[in-house]
Amino acid sequence: MSEPTMRVRFSVNGAAREVTVEARKTLADVIREDLGLTGTHVGCEHGVCGACTVLVDGDPVRSCLMLGVQAGGSDIVTVEGVAGDGVMHPVQQAFWDSHSFQCGFCTPGFVITAYALLRDKPELTEADVRAELSGNLCRCTGYQSIVNGVLAAAERLQDAGKE
Amino acid sequence: MKPPPFEYHAPESLDEAVALLAAHGDECRPLAGGQSLVPLLNFRLARPAHLVDLNWADGFPGIEAGPSGLSIGAMVRQRRAERSPEVQAGCPLLVDALSLIGHPAIRNRGTVGGSIAHADPAAELPAVALALDAELVARGPQGERTVGAGDFFVGHYSTALQPDECLVRVDLPPWPPGAGWSIQETARRHGDFAIAAAAAVVELDGAGTVARARVALAGVADRPVRATAAEEVLAGAVAGPEAIGAAAEQAAVGIDPPSDLHGSAAYRRHVVQVLVRRALESAAHRAEVPA
Amino acid sequence: MAQATGAARQVGASVRRAEDPRILTGAGRYVDDIVLPGMLHAAFLRSTYAHARITGVDASAARALPGVVAVYTGDEVRSMTQPIVPGTAVGMHLMPGLKTPTFFALATDKVRFVGDPVALVVAESRYVAEDAIDLIDVEYDPLPPVVDAQQALEGSSAPVFDELGDNVIARYPIAFGDTDAAFAEADRVVGATLAVHRHQMVPMEGRGAIASYDPGPGTLTYYASTQSPHILKLLLGPQLQLAPEQVRVLAGDVGGAFGLKTTVGREDVMLAAASKAVGRPVKWIEDRSEHLSSSGQAREETLDIEAAVTDDGRLLGIRGRLTMDHGAYPGDPFPASAFAGAIVSMMPGPTRLRGLSCDITVVTTNKCSYLAYRGPWATETFVRERLIDIIARELGLDPVAVRLANYIEKGEPARMISGQSLVGVTARESLERAMELMDYEGFRRRQRQAAGEGRYLGLGMATYIEAAPGPRSDDQRASQLMGVEKARISVDDRGHVTIVTRQQPHGQGHETTLAQVAADEMGVPFEHVTVLYGDTDITPFAIVGTGGSRSATLAGGVVLHGARALKKKVLDVAAELLEASPADLTIVDGMVSVVGTPTRGLPLGEVARIAAHEPERLPAELRGDLEVEQDYDGGAGGWSGGTHSCIVEVDAETGQVRIDRYVVVEDCGAMINPAIVEGQVRGGVAQGIGAVLLERSAYDDDGQYVSATFMDYLLPTAMEIPSIEIHHVDTVPLDPDVNFRGVGEGGMIVTPAAVVNAIDDALAPLGATIREQHLPPSRILELIGTIA
Repeated sequence: MSEPTMRVRFSVNGAAREVTVEARKTLADVIREDLGLTGTHVGCEHGVCGACTVLVDGDPVRSCLMLGVQAGGSDIVTVEGVAGDGVMHPVQQAFWDSHSFQCGFCTPGFVITAYALLRDKPELTEADVRAELSGNLCRCTGYQSIVNGVLAAAERLQDAGKE
Repeated sequence: MKPPPFEYHAPESLDEAVALLAAHGDECRPLAGGQSLVPLLNFRLARPAHLVDLNWADGFPGIEAGPSGLSIGAMVRQRRAERSPEVQAGCPLLVDALSLIGHPAIRNRGTVGGSIAHADPAAELPAVALALDAELVARGPQGERTVGAGDFFVGHYSTALQPDECLVRVDLPPWPPGAGWSIQETARRHGDFAIAAAAAVVELDGAGTVARARVALAGVADRPVRATAAEEVLAGAVAGPEAIGAAAEQAAVGIDPPSDLHGSAAYRRHVVQVLVRRALESAAHRAEVPA
Repeated sequence: MAQATGAARQVGASVRRAEDPRILTGAGRYVDDIVLPGMLHAAFLRSTYAHARITGVDASAARALPGVVAVYTGDEVRSMTQPIVPGTAVGMHLMPGLKTPTFFALATDKVRFVGDPVALVVAESRYVAEDAIDLIDVEYDPLPPVVDAQQALEGSSAPVFDELGDNVIARYPIAFGDTDAAFAEADRVVGATLAVHRHQMVPMEGRGAIASYDPGPGTLTYYASTQSPHILKLLLGPQLQLAPEQVRVLAGDVGGAFGLKTTVGREDVMLAAASKAVGRPVKWIEDRSEHLSSSGQAREETLDIEAAVTDDGRLLGIRGRLTMDHGAYPGDPFPASAFAGAIVSMMPGPTRLRGLSCDITVVTTNKCSYLAYRGPWATETFVRERLIDIIARELGLDPVAVRLANYIEKGEPARMISGQSLVGVTARESLERAMELMDYEGFRRRQRQAAGEGRYLGLGMATYIEAAPGPRSDDQRASQLMGVEKARISVDDRGHVTIVTRQQPHGQGHETTLAQVAADEMGVPFEHVTVLYGDTDITPFAIVGTGGSRSATLAGGVVLHGARALKKKVLDVAAELLEASPADLTIVDGMVSVVGTPTRGLPLGEVARIAAHEPERLPAELRGDLEVEQDYDGGAGGWSGGTHSCIVEVDAETGQVRIDRYVVVEDCGAMINPAIVEGQVRGGVAQGIGAVLLERSAYDDDGQYVSATFMDYLLPTAMEIPSIEIHHVDTVPLDPDVNFRGVGEGGMIVTPAAVVNAIDDALAPLGATIREQHLPPSRILELIGTIA
């Protein structure tokens, strides 16, 4: 059955996009299926695990807890949009250097969360990082490598800022 | 875990939203931040025929501070309230409570009004609203009315809001000069719902004794609870270990807490006393004796 | 053969992972990322009763819903699939003392747990499929649920499987050594009942698959989130009455598994059958609610034991009863009843235990299936290490001293009474080092001081050994199950090396570690090595792809030896072409040259090209693709192991526990990639901490599953897991070439014991004695006596 659908226009990773979707379809599913951006992952569909985190108008949000139709007119950034022109962002570089991840399923949510965090709070202690990451679940790493990655990214970004 | 079908409405004004709520009554749920409602939709525990999305509607107020107190529009995002200079100055207890709600990504969408209207018995904002004697302003087809926090929370996820009413504003009285405050909770993890929580505001008089103490509890009943017996113990007493200890004991009297996976009723009854004691100690410590 | 010189050694370095660029940029390919033309979506209707007869199923309204293509129920499953007799594929059903029920992929006459799949809907979207689920009417006639082992053992309990007569699905004794003599010699007997609670693996990616049956050629391609592609191929083919050649299983990126994805689920069988019936690809991705209630759970067992002990703390013998709560359906092909035996067999650990005798009873209950979880025998470490502390307290001895009295010395020619050699075990050394790092005496002073301030600090320790892969005996090498590892290694005309492995990584970084080994052996840059996996059309057969902590040794070893064999072939060909002796040749940075005369050389790719495409230049025996098929039986194998120790503070008012410090001292042999090793250890430790403080798969008295969301089944976050310090002890090399040992399971095996021992130590002044593994705040206050 197709329920009535709505046309929604937004900007995704800098590009204007338009989809036609049922109102009940979550933003996470719209991103993955209608936009074909499968980097954003669905881990729980009740807002706890953070794997679905994307930026909406600059703020990290759980895309599983928004309806796609609610994002009309917004600027969305997904993990595919963090690297620029084929070059990984310093956050991604730092995660790579720090062996931050294993199976990778939680990773997009952490990349977006860390990207926004470092943009807003360039100076962080380890305790700060742990608190700020506590809304993203990882089952593989025990978190230490991810925390190290964020701290390394902070250093990289500060050094880049000084140049 | 996908939402069931519903008819989606995106009213452009608060009045249009209210008209929709009036038209569809029980068949309709308003959507604010979505951080509580969308999980219910995903689990198919909520199956409204109509969903009224408030996020497009003009007409909700923002944050206003003035001589009559602090007023926060129902659709103000929790994260915005947390960072707002007006809220930080005008209601520090609310700032602390907001920081306990979930995680930043939740607070980026969740609203102050949404949390209060959802009335989860273990949530922080309803308890804080109760502790501060907040006034909740609702608009229905007949116009606006004000309900005191003491009358607003009527049961398990139930408020005094009628199906055709929408919460518009939360009005907080002016912050008492020199008042100390604290919110203490025990949760399984940082950001989880409280197993139990105690929010306290303590005002001292010129002699250093308690002029007024207000204590509200979350997680120990089907709604937030004012620990009035505890408050009475403290009134006029020196805010030291003896009175605070006695007040904490009183807080556990007459409550019938739930038992669940996270804690038995006995656990909640015990731990709420610890939390009340710690909240009062901290609030009293912060309170200033007026000159 | 000349050694590769000049190039930096990859093995032993924390080389950045080859997997990461795609994972960090959202370019991973997990099964839900795959979209096939004509693909449909499936959802399962699951039982809301723990135990009931199905008296009617009406799917007519569901079938009529626009967008629904098909609905299958118990009525159809009998004609679409074969009966499942779990364990048959690997002979497990022949285990003495085991009963094996027969069932179908969907519930037919009765449901046996909340979550039991009752119907499958195939529709245009998951949204529509769930709408259809809502329209299926099932009539249930409830039966009394069996919700714990005690009920299961009562003769009057309703049998979960009627054909088995009662709820005892396995009963067998295990005995090693001379238990009677041990008890005769003992100064005293210390008794304890130790219980581990049900908890579960919870990878961040749940189960899921796309079954794509192509009616033209009559083939099934099955895309899965799995640890073992070949086991899916082995079991799904006969289900659909397809020959092995007609089934291909593909697995790309897998978002974690921890043992959950080693079996073939009933959902897999039904999904494949549905695809065959509709003739189109059908995707099923379980949601978190299904995952928590229905995928797999583990660890629910109780041991009633008596320990024969001397007054100076030596453990001579153990006798007891192990009762395992198996849930309803046995896993296929690995029924949990076998894990019970592994728990007992591993229980001696690094001690000099002389006798062990245990009666095992495995019972069926109306719960989700007990499946393998990271170290399925892990309860042995919990029991042994908790028991040592209990003995120490009873005798008034220091727990470290009691351990030292019991653990073997390095180099002591010892054997576990269950038969395995304890060669190379460094348990004692790891304990001593851990206590040194913890400043044990200093802690005891701090603890006393804190006690004076009304604060409760505790220090716990636990030591374990892990068969990763274990010392190799001849019958293990021969056994298909955990025996010979295979790989194919080749070099192409670009000079790039390709490894085809039967491993199925899901976080272990095999694309990196195996490439490190090959790069060193072949003398090529790391970036020129590609590791291929996850396609049953090209990978060697394996019953378990990745699991059991064996890949470092077995896969690392097969690549090492395979690369050496390939290098020999390369140098033989190059020697012909360069008119030199192979012994004078070396490969550095992908260039084959005469040692000392780098200008006299050929690129590796050129050697490969000539061997493949200009064979006339070579003698007959050197012609052909440069490729090797290698077997490896694990060499000398060996144990991994170590000691974990932690310091906790317990808030005696709220029951909350904070871990102040966590130290790991471990021995995993040589490390291919230290960062990857440490990641595995920390991940395991986090799961162990989660098990003790947060995680419980809880059922109520009606058999309703209560922990079905992430607000109820609580995973630890970055706030609950401390920084974990990892130190290594000098390992005992056992093999001339391959001393990498596995670490995948160790962290999880030992951590619960270390944490519980610490909490017990903290609460000792309050008179609490801990005999269980799940200690949420509520329970801690009960143990202290603050609440009833």
